Amino acid sequence: MKKISIPKIIIYIFLVLMAVLYLAPLLWVFNVSFKTNAEIFTAPFALPQAPTFENFTFAWTAGKLGIATLNSFIVCVITLALSMIIGSMAAFGIARLRWKFAKLSLTYFLLGMMIPVHCVMIPLFTRFAKVHLTNSLTGLILPYLTFALPVTIFIMVGFFEGMPNELIESACIDGATIYQIFFKVCLPLGKTGLFVTGLMTFIANWNELLLAMVFISDDLKKTLPVSLSKFVGPYNTNYSQMFAAIIIAIVPTIIVYCAFSNQIVDGLTAGAVKG
Amino acid sequence: MDKLLRNKKAIFIFMAPAFILFTFVLFIPICQSIYYSFCDYNALTPPKFIGLENYKNLLQDKTLAIALKNSLFFLIFSCVTQLIMGLFLAALLTNIDKGRNVFKNIIYLPCVLSSAALGLLWMFIFSPKLGINQLLAKFGIEGPLWLMDINGFIILPMWVIAFVALWQYVGQSMMLYMAQISGISKSLYEASYIDGCNKVKSFRYITLPLIRPMVATAMSLNAIGSLKFFDLIFNMTEGGPNHKTEVLATHLYQQGFKYFKYGYASAIGVLLLILCLLVTAFINKVVKTEQYEM
Repeated sequence: MKKISIPKIIIYIFLVLMAVLYLAPLLWVFNVSFKTNAEIFTAPFALPQAPTFENFTFAWTAGKLGIATLNSFIVCVITLALSMIIGSMAAFGIARLRWKFAKLSLTYFLLGMMIPVHCVMIPLFTRFAKVHLTNSLTGLILPYLTFALPVTIFIMVGFFEGMPNELIESACIDGATIYQIFFKVCLPLGKTGLFVTGLMTFIANWNELLLAMVFISDDLKKTLPVSLSKFVGPYNTNYSQMFAAIIIAIVPTIIVYCAFSNQIVDGLTAGAVKG
Repeated sequence: MDKLLRNKKAIFIFMAPAFILFTFVLFIPICQSIYYSFCDYNALTPPKFIGLENYKNLLQDKTLAIALKNSLFFLIFSCVTQLIMGLFLAALLTNIDKGRNVFKNIIYLPCVLSSAALGLLWMFIFSPKLGINQLLAKFGIEGPLWLMDINGFIILPMWVIAFVALWQYVGQSMMLYMAQISGISKSLYEASYIDGCNKVKSFRYITLPLIRPMVATAMSLNAIGSLKFFDLIFNMTEGGPNHKTEVLATHLYQQGFKYFKYGYASAIGVLLLILCLLVTAFINKVVKTEQYEM
């Protein structure tokens, strides 16, 4: 029989306090985003008297967060799709195909995990400016994709190495080509890994600020974090609109997180435990 | 089958896209960046080789000194606090059954949210007349200027930002430690209880040594993360007031993309890269010394 012990109660009290510390700021901003500007100063912690959606419509249209959300979505989905296919192809090549430099090339890709994006920003920017890739979403997708590859390859190599040899042998005996083996046998079996790396790629790029800020100056091409940062400057007097903007920026991720939190956690630990 | 797996053309097709991207978007730019760091390069004129001039200027740059100090403060603060808090939370969460997932998910949540948005959120919470200070005013306390006070060696805004960073990222360390702890065999603990250990003792003598490799991993992640730290600072203070909260990444951004001193900014980038490599090597050497059979 379990009885409730005093240390357990203390643990729970502490954890509840932590949860409050984590949720309170988010709930506060959510609450004030429905208020008028005056209300924020007179009654900052009360519920809004007459909840208004105007702040949201303003941020969405005048703050250009609508178009920014669309841009972020396009960039993230394309990066995710490409990184999954290119990354898992390379991972398959490293884990399953037999050639001399397989191990070495894995090391080459993994080095990418240690390199901060700041170090390549300037050469990339000058190069991209020459070929008109700055101020275009393609110019963002290329580096996002490249920086997503190390983790994708790393995790997928683990998945492909774990697959039994017999699978590939039997497919081979049935007369499958190497491409069929990859696309029809191995890739479907590595689905969970792909899903996890895809989610991580999506979240990382959805939140990326620095590169997007440097590469994009056209208002209509900006991604969500950039538009958000830029939106706050000029409208500095109207707090409630800015709070609405912050809510617009974080709610999609919260929804994705609630739906897939277990997979996101698996991905994080899969990537790190093996390292 | 062997022939199938040694097929040169297939190997090429599978590896080429990733290789091309990696080489052209990461490794050539890195080399270029190192070259630029030895050049006078300012966006208008092509790079001109000037040797160590940029690095000499780095030594005299007062803002760089502040940025370096702040970055190192961040590095140490986040490595220490994340280790302690992360382990503590992981230990608590592995000791409860009901609601473990709920608490875990709540604490991990900010890790997946945009630091740009969270930076703004905290900026408003800490701004002079909003949030925290409104709350303090209810108790008759006049709160400080959280993000503008510039007294002391490590100024108040840096502490505030460091705590926000801890708040945001401790979930990641916690998660890594939890994963490692759950992999430790239960029989080890049972044996230790029979030998008369209490929970605290078995944590000290079983959990701690066995999660050492993960401490190294989590610490290197923290260290690199804190050296690259940009979003929160940029949105909370923009490096101000008067460059007092500048870190390496924000200084690099300013020099490179506000003043277009590409050569100089590249030198800062190289410094950052060297720091990242040094710190990871150091952590792996010092923390990951012993390995146990699990």
